[in-house]
Amino acid sequence: MSLLEFSKQAFVIGFYLYCVAFIFYVIAVTGKTWRNRDPQQHERKWGRISFTTSTLGLVSHLAYCGTRWAYSGHIPVSNMYEFMSFLSMMIMIAFTIVFLIYRKILLGMFAVPIAIIIMAYAAVFPQDVQPLIPSLKSIWLYIHVTLAAAGESFFAVGFVAGFMYLLRSIPFGENDKSTRRQKWWIEFTFFSIIILVGFIGSVFAFRAAGYEAVFTTNSTTIDNQVQQDSTIGKVVYKMPPIVAPYQSQSESVKSFLGMDKPLFEAPSWMAGVNAGRKLNTIVWSVISGSLLYGLIRLLIRKPIGKAVSPFLKGIAADDLDEISYRAIAIGFPIFTLGALVFAMIWAQQAWGRFWANDPKEVWALITWLFYSVYLHLRLSRGFQGRKASWLAVIGFLVVMFTLVGVNLVISGLHSYAGTD
Amino acid sequence: MGKARRPVQVVILLLIIILGGYAISTAVIGGGDGKPVIGDKPPAIKLLGLDGEVHTLNDYKGQAIVINFWATWCTYCVKEMPALQAQWEKWRDQGVVILGINTGEDEMTVRNFTEQMGVNFPVVFDSDNEAVRKYGVVPMPTTFFVNKNGKISSIHQGELNLESLNDQIRQLVNP
Amino acid sequence: MIENTKCECGHQNRVGTVLCEACGKPLFEVDSGEVLEMRYDGTARRSQRVNPNIIDKVWNFFSSVKVAIYLIIFTLIGSIFGTIFQQESNFVQVDASKFYKENYGTIGDIYYKLGLSHTYESWWFITLLVMIGASLIICSLDRVLPLYKALSKQKIRKHLQFLTRQKVVYQGPIEENAVEWVQRCAGPLKKKGYRVHIDGDALLAEKQRFSRWGPYVIHIGLIIFLLAVLFRGLPGLHLDKHYWFQEGEITRIPDTTFYLKNEKFRVEYYSEEEMSDDFKGTGKIVPKLFETKVVLYECTADCGDPSKIPVLEEVKRHAIQVNDPLSYKGLSAYQFDFDLTPKLRSVQPMLVDKTTGEQYGKFKLDMTNPLREFKLGPYTLELSNKFMDFSLNDQGQPISKSAKPNAPAFLFTIKGPGVPDTGGQYIYFPKQIDKERFQQDAINEKLGGLQNKLELDVLAMEDVDFSNSSSYLNIRIDRAMPFVWLGLGIVMLGLIMGFYWQHRRIWLRVDDTILTLGGHTTKNWFGMRREVSSFLQTMGVEVDEKSLDNGGNRP
Repeated sequence: MSLLEFSKQAFVIGFYLYCVAFIFYVIAVTGKTWRNRDPQQHERKWGRISFTTSTLGLVSHLAYCGTRWAYSGHIPVSNMYEFMSFLSMMIMIAFTIVFLIYRKILLGMFAVPIAIIIMAYAAVFPQDVQPLIPSLKSIWLYIHVTLAAAGESFFAVGFVAGFMYLLRSIPFGENDKSTRRQKWWIEFTFFSIIILVGFIGSVFAFRAAGYEAVFTTNSTTIDNQVQQDSTIGKVVYKMPPIVAPYQSQSESVKSFLGMDKPLFEAPSWMAGVNAGRKLNTIVWSVISGSLLYGLIRLLIRKPIGKAVSPFLKGIAADDLDEISYRAIAIGFPIFTLGALVFAMIWAQQAWGRFWANDPKEVWALITWLFYSVYLHLRLSRGFQGRKASWLAVIGFLVVMFTLVGVNLVISGLHSYAGTD
Repeated sequence: MGKARRPVQVVILLLIIILGGYAISTAVIGGGDGKPVIGDKPPAIKLLGLDGEVHTLNDYKGQAIVINFWATWCTYCVKEMPALQAQWEKWRDQGVVILGINTGEDEMTVRNFTEQMGVNFPVVFDSDNEAVRKYGVVPMPTTFFVNKNGKISSIHQGELNLESLNDQIRQLVNP
Repeated sequence: MIENTKCECGHQNRVGTVLCEACGKPLFEVDSGEVLEMRYDGTARRSQRVNPNIIDKVWNFFSSVKVAIYLIIFTLIGSIFGTIFQQESNFVQVDASKFYKENYGTIGDIYYKLGLSHTYESWWFITLLVMIGASLIICSLDRVLPLYKALSKQKIRKHLQFLTRQKVVYQGPIEENAVEWVQRCAGPLKKKGYRVHIDGDALLAEKQRFSRWGPYVIHIGLIIFLLAVLFRGLPGLHLDKHYWFQEGEITRIPDTTFYLKNEKFRVEYYSEEEMSDDFKGTGKIVPKLFETKVVLYECTADCGDPSKIPVLEEVKRHAIQVNDPLSYKGLSAYQFDFDLTPKLRSVQPMLVDKTTGEQYGKFKLDMTNPLREFKLGPYTLELSNKFMDFSLNDQGQPISKSAKPNAPAFLFTIKGPGVPDTGGQYIYFPKQIDKERFQQDAINEKLGGLQNKLELDVLAMEDVDFSNSSSYLNIRIDRAMPFVWLGLGIVMLGLIMGFYWQHRRIWLRVDDTILTLGGHTTKNWFGMRREVSSFLQTMGVEVDEKSLDNGGNRP
């Protein structure tokens, strides 16, 4: 078995171990109320089992990273697949560190699924080992990306703890205006996460089925007011086309549930190369995510937030607030060093300009500014508890936009190949 | 701190106003791309002439200068050469200099060309395209009209004919 | 209104003081049981005055953290605008006024007209940065001095209320003699790294006070960074140009005293063996290396004088690669682009007698500044004209279309045996393709028919000198960079000081047999409680960590 094969296996094993660990964490937390059990003993026993499992998953994940590194000769962070799996690994490391400090099993129930989702998201992207282009050949690739991801993963833990704080402290039984609004946003956060799951799920489902549809687009650009330049492009869909590319003819469309032609065409302002396909993917994600969300609601018969919050009774809200703040405080210097300082040093070395106003750079700065607002509000204006937790939740949204959104929506010097 | 407080405050605020004001004003004026515009002093040049001498703009201090960027391969430059030569002959006694800056060609090409065309106003070589960069010349020919006070009074891109050149020079001499 | 700021312990406090500077007794909300606000240790900020005038008002504005937060938020939002579309600074030589409309439609046009296409250079963005700078300076000054004074003259015995209203509080009986018990505390506390001060039956233990200065160190670093960023564009501090360097040539770097020779440029691509199996299938070609071997010369004499040949001294050799620029005394050269179009530099043709086949000799013909006269055997070749990019104009006259040696042609006047005394004209195209394209023989026929008698011919490949490529380098001088790095270094130092250490203090006092303990830390209350509980344990007081929590975290 080659190193690369081994690495791929380790990735899959790590993924399943995380899934199992997640189930164990859920058992550890929810099982306390089962009959014939001493709650404390149950928690201690299952807490140990689940933490061991998630650590084994992390070991496997580290093995994936190490062997892929050995095979390719460079740290596996050079494309979207590699970076996202690296990020989920760093989140698990950050979680493990915070867990060892605070020993709160509940944290695992929320942090592990975040790592799982990001890991699954990584698998959406092409997984081939790519040779390193000259501008990435630098020791700073290792330092910059590793530290930036480390800082971001502490922000992720801060988000998890902040979100848990909200679930713990919002009085789901009450119905005043502010509570209603907060409940709505909690539900919205859950819904967004489920949409992401829906996206990953539909990608894998259609990939497994080998679905494909091909469109030809004919785009005409007018140069110099005289010359007409028409290019014929081919767009390959891996999901049934609900939305066809703007001004396109279908070449081949596999039938899906009797649907053998697109229902709509993308609007004219979405004329970008892959804009139609991206829109189609988004539509599918929303559909499958909504179905999934509806199914969950049907099963539990109440808002997810309300259903989950009772499990958090065993943990003090203060502690969650403290954990969230602590994780962000640990992550902030690391993030500054990795995502800004070392990024600037590298940019100075590679391009001669330490700051180029590249969208990714600017968004890293925005993330930094956001968390410095968080820290100032917390330290000087007494933002604690609920307000601080909402900021931690939004902060992670900013982080994810920086990592994923910028690549999908805007691209710049950091463009990784193969974004869907 | 008590007594020293007020002066310290004033000094700090003044510093912020001066430094900040400078930073903001350069942003407003927009440092520019360095290209000379009408009203600017023409950028200094120091180039070797066809006569073997080094020419600078200071050599023509107090005179009106018509700076013409040209090349033998540029059709419109070639077309306007007789007009430039004619105006040189007409105005040279009234303190007007026509300075041809040849862009990136070698001596032989230029000498053959000037002899063939009968051009005898000063021609200098911009072999490294340094003057082209400093003056921000994009299309050729481009002609800068510098008045006697040493300020650019107009910039013309493209071919000049005898009359328009005459008008421009007249404005330089009798503003 | 003049507030009474005199504490019951007799200390006269300044206006704005929250906790008495001496004993720590709260001066406001005396009766509430709330946890105390310990920012800046309760001292008055510098700006808090009774009758503010205009300078005070400006000062107060910038000294407010609330204002600082708003400034950060505005900068954050402003930065987002700049990421919507590409910024003008990221492309070279494009007409921005058309670019946005053509690429992004009407929205792009509006974006351009609002000036968002250069967000980060706009007056309002710079103003925000300047205001943040002002806020950084004034906020810090306003707080750091009072805090420094408060921390350097701490009273050991604090007011009872000061202790019971801390976030970590313990109260309980002790059996021993108060003074002895307090004396005994010193040992375990010192072991935990505290510096212990004792005043009879009261105690103050303190550690890692330096972390208190972390935020101010960060701010100093940021100020240096901002100054460096805002003023690095000052004339003379900054140079940022891109130039082509033809292989094999020494090129002057304008506006400097340096010359640079591009000795060799090479580009390498990954071979199939170096790619993973998955990747081979994609059929992509990935570059592995761009490298320009350069020699940097500094001009030592006759530099600015175009009539003289400058005297150059080699100062540095370097193989410039992406991520490995040339640097010498603040000048840096970065690999930026390249062009693999070969450029003809010189040929060495042989003069051949066409009838006898006799070879009269070779001569070197440079494309730029060639020699004017060549003697070959009995013949004299006089170069009378040259065309770098040969073409014929409407009147059928030879012209050059550009200064690039795309289709060079040389016109000779040849004198010698069998040629009229005035000399015969002969045109020569060094490139074979041009000979055919422009019909060299036909032209020479018209010029006098010398082509039947003589011929110029390049006999071997080594008689042709090509420059294979040229390399596009980014030449930079940035004298402000050391300050940028210094600023960032200080920021990092401050971050580490402030975030990875905490200033912890424990106050103790024993009133009769009742021990009152108050604890304060700047961060990580969890750790603080753990430390206090473990300390109390060694002193024989069992207490649950959680029970030390006096609240205050609650919203």
